[in-house]
Amino acid sequence: MRILVVEDDAETADYLIGGLEEEGHTVTRSGNGRNGLFLAMTENFDLLIVDRMLPELDGLTLVKTLRASRVETPVLFLTTMSGIDDRVMGLNAGGDDYLVKPFAFSELVARVKALSRRPRGTSVETGFKIADLELDLLKRVVKRAGNEIALQPREFRLLEYLMRHAGQVVTRTMLLDNVWNYHFDPRTNVVESHLSRLRTKIDKGFSPELIHTVRGSGYCLRAPD
Amino acid sequence: MPRIRLFRTSSFRLALLYAGLLTASVLVLFGVTYWFATNYATQDEDNEIGVEFASLQDEAQLSGQARLPAIIDNHLRLRKDVQAIYLLQDSAGRKIIGNVPAMSPVIGSATLRLRVDDRPRQVRARGYNLANGNYLLVGQDTRTLRDMKALIVRAFGVGLVATLLLALLGGVIVSTTMLKRIDAVSRTARGIVAGDMSQRVPVRGTDDEFDELAASVNAMLNRIEDLMRSMRQVSNDVAHDLRTPLTRLRQRLEHARRRAQTTEELHEALGHSIAQVDSILETFGALLRIAQIEAGGRASEKSAINVSKLLAAIVDDFAPAAEDQGQTLVAEIDKGLSITGDPELLTQMVVNLVDNAIRHSPPGARICIEAKAVGDSLELAVVDNGPGIPSRERENVLRPFYRLEASRTTEGSGLGLSLVAAIAKRHDAKLSLGDNSPGLRVAVLFPAAA
Repeated sequence: MRILVVEDDAETADYLIGGLEEEGHTVTRSGNGRNGLFLAMTENFDLLIVDRMLPELDGLTLVKTLRASRVETPVLFLTTMSGIDDRVMGLNAGGDDYLVKPFAFSELVARVKALSRRPRGTSVETGFKIADLELDLLKRVVKRAGNEIALQPREFRLLEYLMRHAGQVVTRTMLLDNVWNYHFDPRTNVVESHLSRLRTKIDKGFSPELIHTVRGSGYCLRAPD
Repeated sequence: MPRIRLFRTSSFRLALLYAGLLTASVLVLFGVTYWFATNYATQDEDNEIGVEFASLQDEAQLSGQARLPAIIDNHLRLRKDVQAIYLLQDSAGRKIIGNVPAMSPVIGSATLRLRVDDRPRQVRARGYNLANGNYLLVGQDTRTLRDMKALIVRAFGVGLVATLLLALLGGVIVSTTMLKRIDAVSRTARGIVAGDMSQRVPVRGTDDEFDELAASVNAMLNRIEDLMRSMRQVSNDVAHDLRTPLTRLRQRLEHARRRAQTTEELHEALGHSIAQVDSILETFGALLRIAQIEAGGRASEKSAINVSKLLAAIVDDFAPAAEDQGQTLVAEIDKGLSITGDPELLTQMVVNLVDNAIRHSPPGARICIEAKAVGDSLELAVVDNGPGIPSRERENVLRPFYRLEASRTTEGSGLGLSLVAAIAKRHDAKLSLGDNSPGLRVAVLFPAAA
C-alpha cells in the first residue's frame, strides 16, 4: 500500500514509517499540513495518516478540503486530541477512523489494514459468506452449514463486523469503537465474554474453527487456507 | 500621598457635589431673603414718607398754608438725624425752601439721586402737587436700607463660607471613613496576592453594607481556599500515584539491563514495561477526561436520552462478563424513563459503576441496575451485595486516587468514582453512596428535566 503520513513530529514520523515499511507498505512523509494536502491531491495514495495539530494547515481542515475536492482516499486520524468531541469532529470532517496517541503499533497496523479494504463505492452489502458461515443483513439471519443460529443483537453486530473484516486482525479497541460504540475502555471483559459466547455458537460442533484469537493483538475471522 | 488620593476618591467627589448643591441652595435663600427684605424696607420708608407728608399737611392746615415753608424749615431742623429731605418749589420751578436743589417735579414714589446739602445721596422720596400749584418733595436718605442690604450680604457671605467649610469637612470625614474600610478590603486582597491565603476582611459587626461586602468577600475567599486545597491535594496525589508505578518501571528496566541474559528475557521485561507505561498513560487519560468533563463545554451534546433503553443495553453488554465471573447482573428498570444529558457520558458513568461492582464483588454476588422515577426526578442506582464500603470511607472514595486498603492490590487507577462524580455533577445530579446491607448501593439522583 502507498501511505502518506502527515505528521510534524519527526520522532513519531520515523516510528510510523519504520513500522509501516516493515509491514510492507510504501510510505511518504509530509511535515506540514499544506504540503500534505498538496501531496494528497496530486499523488495517488491508498491511505492517509493525518495528525490533527500540524503547522500551516491543521489536519481537520486538510481532510475537509480534500473531501470537498472529492478526493476519497481513506483517512486515519492519529492524534493526541482525545477530547470527547474531538473524535466526532474528526469523523465528521471526513476521517474514516480516529486513533488516539499513544497507541500500540499492532493497533495501528490492524486499523490500517481494515481501512485498506474499505469498500470504495457506495454499493451496500446485503450479506457475507465465509466458508460455510453465512450472514444475511436483510433477514438478520446467521447460518452455519445451513443451520440457522440464534444470536443476540450485540452478537449479531459483532459477527457482522468480524465478517466485514474477514481475514484481518480486529483489535479489542476496534470492536469497542465500532460494535459497542464505547470510546473508553471498560475494565470488565465485555468484548471477551461476548466473543467467547459467539464462538461457542458459531464454531462449537463445526469444523473448521473460523474465529481465531491473535495473541497480543485481537481477533480474526478467516476461512482456512 | 494619602491626601492626594483623598481628592481622587469617589466619596470625596460626592462630598464636593454635595457642597456645591448646598452653596446653590444658600444662594437661592439669600436671593429670596434679599428681595423680600428690600421690598419690605422700601415700603416701610414709603409709609414713613407718607406719614411725614400727612403731618406737614396737618400742621399747615392748623396754621395756614402760607406757613408751610416755616413748618418745613422746622422739620428740617428737627429731623436732621433721620436725614429727611424736603423740597418746596413754586409752579415756576423755583425753590422756596429745602435741603436739595430745585428739580423737575417727580410725582409719586421714586428712588432718586440728589445733592443733599451739596453732597450726592441716594434718596427715597415722594412728590406731591399742592393745591396752590406749588410742588412738595418729601423723602429720606436710603442709608438704613443700604445698611440693611449690606448686613444681609455680609450675613449670607459668612454663612456661605461656613457652609462650604462644613460641607468639605463632612466630605473629608465621610470619605476617609469609607476609604479606611475599602482599604481594609484592598489590604486583604494584597495580602492574598502576596501569598497569605489566610487573610480575611475584618467584619465590624455593624451589619452595614461594608460588613455585608466583607462577609461576601470572605465567603468567596473560603471557597477559593477550599478549591485550592483540594487542587493541591489532587496534584499531590497525581505526583505520588504516578511516581510509584514509574519507580517500579525504572526498577524493572534497570533489572533487565543488568540481569537479562537472553533476548527472550529482555523481550519479556520490555513487554511488562510497556504494560506498565500503558497503565500510567491510562491514568493520565482518566485525569484528562475528568478535567474535560469538569470544564464542561459539551452542552451541545445534551439531548433527550431514553434511560431505560440505554441501561438495558448496558445490562445486555455486561451480563455475560458478570456471568463469567460467577456473578449475576440483573435489571430493575422502569419503562419509558428519560433525562436530558450526554448519552456517551451517561453510558460511561453506568459502565464505570458496573465495572466497580463486578471487580469488587466476590463470585456469586448479585449486581442490580435500578432506575425509577422519584417524584419529578429520576433515580438510577447500581447495587451489589459485595463487601460494601464502611460508612466513614464513603466520602473518601469519591476523591481522586483514593483506594480502600482492601482494594489496593486490585488493578485500577482509583479514578473511576471521581469520573462518575464529575459526570454526575455535569448533569446536576446528586451522587450518593449507601449501604445495601450487605453491599454497596451507588445512587445518582437526576433532577427533573428542565
